[in-house]
Amino acid sequence: MAVKTLGANKLRSGLTMLGIIIGNASVIAMVAAGQAAQEFVTREFESLGTNVLFIAPGSAQRGPTAGIGRADTLTLADAEAIAAEVLAVAEVSPEKNQRLRVTYETAQTQANIIGTTPDYVPVRQISLAQGRFLSPVDSQSALPVAVLGSETAQTLFGKQNPIGQKIRVSNVRFTVVGVVASRGSTFGQNQDETVYVPIQVMVNQLTGQEVGKTSPTVQLIAASAREATSASAAQYQITNLLRLRHGLLNKEDDFVVQSQQDLLATAASITDILVQVLGYTAGISLLVGGIGIMNIMLVSVTERTQEIGLRKAIGAKGIDISVQFTIESIILAVIGGLIGIGVGVTSIGILTLTTPLSAGISLSAIAISFTVSGSTGLIFGLLPARRAAQLDPIVALRS
Amino acid sequence: MALIKLRRVSKTYGMGNVEVHALREVSLAIDPGEYCAIVGASGSGKSTAMNLIGCLDRPTWGDYRLDGIPVSTLGTDALADIRNRKIGFVFQQFYLLPQLTAIENVMLPMVYANVPKSQRRSRAIASLQKVGLGDRLHNRPNQLSGGQQQRVTIARAIVNRPKLLLADEPTGALDSQTSRSILDIFTSLNRAGMTLVMVTHNEAVAQQCDRVITFRDGQVLSDRPTAKAVTNLMLN
Repeated sequence: MAVKTLGANKLRSGLTMLGIIIGNASVIAMVAAGQAAQEFVTREFESLGTNVLFIAPGSAQRGPTAGIGRADTLTLADAEAIAAEVLAVAEVSPEKNQRLRVTYETAQTQANIIGTTPDYVPVRQISLAQGRFLSPVDSQSALPVAVLGSETAQTLFGKQNPIGQKIRVSNVRFTVVGVVASRGSTFGQNQDETVYVPIQVMVNQLTGQEVGKTSPTVQLIAASAREATSASAAQYQITNLLRLRHGLLNKEDDFVVQSQQDLLATAASITDILVQVLGYTAGISLLVGGIGIMNIMLVSVTERTQEIGLRKAIGAKGIDISVQFTIESIILAVIGGLIGIGVGVTSIGILTLTTPLSAGISLSAIAISFTVSGSTGLIFGLLPARRAAQLDPIVALRS
Repeated sequence: MALIKLRRVSKTYGMGNVEVHALREVSLAIDPGEYCAIVGASGSGKSTAMNLIGCLDRPTWGDYRLDGIPVSTLGTDALADIRNRKIGFVFQQFYLLPQLTAIENVMLPMVYANVPKSQRRSRAIASLQKVGLGDRLHNRPNQLSGGQQQRVTIARAIVNRPKLLLADEPTGALDSQTSRSILDIFTSLNRAGMTLVMVTHNEAVAQQCDRVITFRDGQVLSDRPTAKAVTNLMLN
């Protein structure tokens, strides 16, 4: 009966359901998108390597000009000290970056030049496609050798074998000894447009010695803990050592030591908020959909006053009328909910196909939004149903 | 025992500060099996009387017993139950639900009477056959003529086997020939024992009944048998 009544006014029923459809679809799609973003961020951080500690100059509290990575408080000597003195640390890889022009014969490109040491390989967990990485000899003797990122190698050499060839970085000649396998991009930064050179060579020939510094500054020191369990011990020991070396007795740290777990936790707290915000937004649209149902049901009660009067005249009690209208609004909400779930699931499919996010369909989101839309129908159907039930049959029939 | 018994029944509507006395101490008795017309000009109180008799409304003062039940003291749900089981309504505008077929419209009162689903269909069909619409079961109201729609209404009114059939201007929306066929159905229902009360302002229609009660200014002006009834009495 209720289905028939709703079917008799398809356009209106459809428009009423639209609110619920959009509400449900957005709950499911938003929650899925949020969770996918969360997974994506987690995966990105995990790709940085496990058990890795990142030590950056500057402090998080000091404002943008002296923020992480911008200050010059961290030096190559700090990195060497960490390697020598912190027992919980296995390998240490200092990093000094600069974006420079790289040329080979007539080909040229911009690349991120990373001055580092052989330990870069175990710490950052990279693998080589061709040749070798920087060797201890290269480092100690400051030999002009370079290892190319896969994209830089492709741009400069195409199908040609780059090993043994000479490239120029800012007019300094380097011999190519290896090509790193593709690392993809992390947080939108392409890791393959890169040239790795010994850090001493970078300091001596590319960036130059800084005035008033006994040891060259670095932008980042990555250190790997000996075991997963010793990461926090390493973090503590590094902090102590650097405070001592920097003479920070009553001062704040002028560096930041972060473990991958810290980064994960920070990211998780951000993405949690993202999921919540998306969830609330979607919930609000569900609420709006519910109000739409109430609106239409009120119109429907007014429009069907005679029907209500007739039903009452032939014996319907208030509760019968009330139940009838409530069921109608629940049916609207539930059908709308089902369609909305369909739309939501479809849009998750589209999201998975068109973005790097791999969105999973959350069964709990489906269950929740379905339950919520059902109860929305119930709650927002009650007021119109009450209106209908309280109509006086005489007045209703004469209207 | 009278099926309908009104004793000094009054109905007053408060309209702001002005009180409108729609009925003033009306006493009336209608026995089972009677075929009775209530006539009067508009504002005479006949519609109010009809609403009270139909248990759609309660008297302000006085006592009304339907089939011995003191309905003036009942609550709205109990009244709904009385209307459902004891009274069948036939309206001038039919009030059929447009989205339902003839048989579904006729089944409607049985839904509220909690008649088992298995019986609803057969009873609705029997009811529609009684009014000569056995071949129009699955037509919607807009696929039926005015006369046919009114017959569906009658089928709906009698499907719960009420004691009283209450018709409000049943021929008001119909041409004279169709009116006659509707009145014929009423006559045959009455012969089968149904008590019929019809509100009309059409004198010719009223004369088809056995008794005419005339209202004026909220009171019964006259209450007499029709010539047809007198003739029938004399002939028997």
